[in-house]
Amino acid sequence: MADLTCNLGRLTLKNPVMTASGTFGYGYEYHQYYDISRLGAVVVKGIRMEPSPGNPTPRVAEVTGGMLNAIGLQGPGVETFLHGEHYLPFLRSVHATTIVNMWGKTIQEYGEVAARLDAESDGIAALEINISCPNVKAGGVAFGTDLKLAHEVVSLVRSRTKLPLITKLSPNVTCIADFARAVVDAGSDMVSLINTIPGMSIDIETRRPRIANRTGGFSGPALKPIAVRMVYDVAHAVKVPVIGMGGIMNGDDAIEFFLAGASAVAVGTANFVDPYAALKVIDGINTYLDRHGIASVSEIIGALR
Amino acid sequence: MINGEILENNRLKGDYFLVRFHAPEICAKARAGQFVHVRINDHGDRILRRPFSIHDCAGETLSLVYKVVGHGTKELSELAPGAVCDLLGPLGVGFSDPAPGMTPVLVAGGYGAAATYLLTKQVPQRGLFLLGARSESDVLLTEKYEKAGYEVRVATNDGSMGYHGFVTGLVEQLLAEKPDGKFFFYGCGPHPMLMALAKLLRAHHQPGELSIDHLMCCGIGACFACVVKVKADTPTGWTYARACADGPVFNLDSVYVE
Repeated sequence: MADLTCNLGRLTLKNPVMTASGTFGYGYEYHQYYDISRLGAVVVKGIRMEPSPGNPTPRVAEVTGGMLNAIGLQGPGVETFLHGEHYLPFLRSVHATTIVNMWGKTIQEYGEVAARLDAESDGIAALEINISCPNVKAGGVAFGTDLKLAHEVVSLVRSRTKLPLITKLSPNVTCIADFARAVVDAGSDMVSLINTIPGMSIDIETRRPRIANRTGGFSGPALKPIAVRMVYDVAHAVKVPVIGMGGIMNGDDAIEFFLAGASAVAVGTANFVDPYAALKVIDGINTYLDRHGIASVSEIIGALR
Repeated sequence: MINGEILENNRLKGDYFLVRFHAPEICAKARAGQFVHVRINDHGDRILRRPFSIHDCAGETLSLVYKVVGHGTKELSELAPGAVCDLLGPLGVGFSDPAPGMTPVLVAGGYGAAATYLLTKQVPQRGLFLLGARSESDVLLTEKYEKAGYEVRVATNDGSMGYHGFVTGLVEQLLAEKPDGKFFFYGCGPHPMLMALAKLLRAHHQPGELSIDHLMCCGIGACFACVVKVKADTPTGWTYARACADGPVFNLDSVYVE
């Protein structure tokens, strides 16, 4: 068994496999299947100040090689997350390493959420700032595709919390490395990528979009080459740890991300196909490392020939 | 999650099929109204599972009824006995038993008829099975309900069989025939039918439960894709509940009708 310890600056994880926000609920559901404390980290579904109803249905559509979703960040709001039985208190009780994905409709709200989580941070290992959900238009502003706004959001969150900060980057930009540099400059301790890519699918019989929001974020195995390329670009642009995600279905997929320069990975859509997917990715990484006689996963980070 | 071997996979009529799996672990726990999330293949092009209501559990044999409507169900229909599917379940909240002395009335639309059948084994009382279908060619499983001792009444939209009209028409007839009947209604079918049924039953102060099926993704409550509106103390009067985990069976009292 290789050493899977994952060092992300001041955050150390038992292994480099996390769940992608929005694909694992708040951990509770998956704990019925396995002990979620075995994961490097559980990244929970995005949290903002108030409860959010999310988008109308249908919210998902299957497409070749993946799916589109426009859930619209349905969520319970920060207070329920902090105190509700099936949320943070549950995650704490099962000793899950918890990363809280957070967002706001305004820049100010990002700051408020960060401050609230910081004030009750027992059981929170890090925050992941979502500046890139393609399905929620906050006052028409997309924080993740404007360098100045991205910097501003991350700077504000940085000023409100001492927790390690991850910024989740949008792939919907011309040069993702520029955004990585901007958020690191604003104080992000690391970056995660990629979020979904906006897509569309149309029912040709009804001539209607197959999801109510008309467009949705594309995820799944077909996304992987794009994600690997972006991780590669970003890993060469910034010195902070990179968390790679996008279409990871098994251990071999995860290894590609490590070789491209990711220090950790997140499993997303695969959780919907197989509730045990994230655990199987850990096993698959181990198998690869053993097969190649590699003692530690850290040895293959960026080890592209 | 288990590997279920297909024992048989036969066409019932038209595009409707019945598949039987060897699935003792699922049969041991299944209740009427719950569902099984089926992974049909391991190909990379279509990755999501398909949810199917549990039709029947007999010993170690799980039966599902499905209609070929797209890629997944077409592939499923082509699988021969001996093939294996990855089955996740039983999932979701099933139907509850009626109070003693109440007559169960199962109201199904189309192949919603599949999902109410297990009630005939679960519920000690005998009752009625009211089925609405587009046409005679969509009328399914009525013999099984008759065999189970249920009184069967059929409605078709085109009048090709039974009552000419919607299944809610049969419900109205029943309520007119037996104004003092102590009924407990179970509904499963297309969304517009369920909403019409909910309105009608509410107007007559009748109790019941509805299985509200929706386009599903994870099936275990994590992704929030399959949400349905339920009554809530919010400014809008509703909130979204997950069909897969909070349902698919909801008490009539909690269903939000627009």
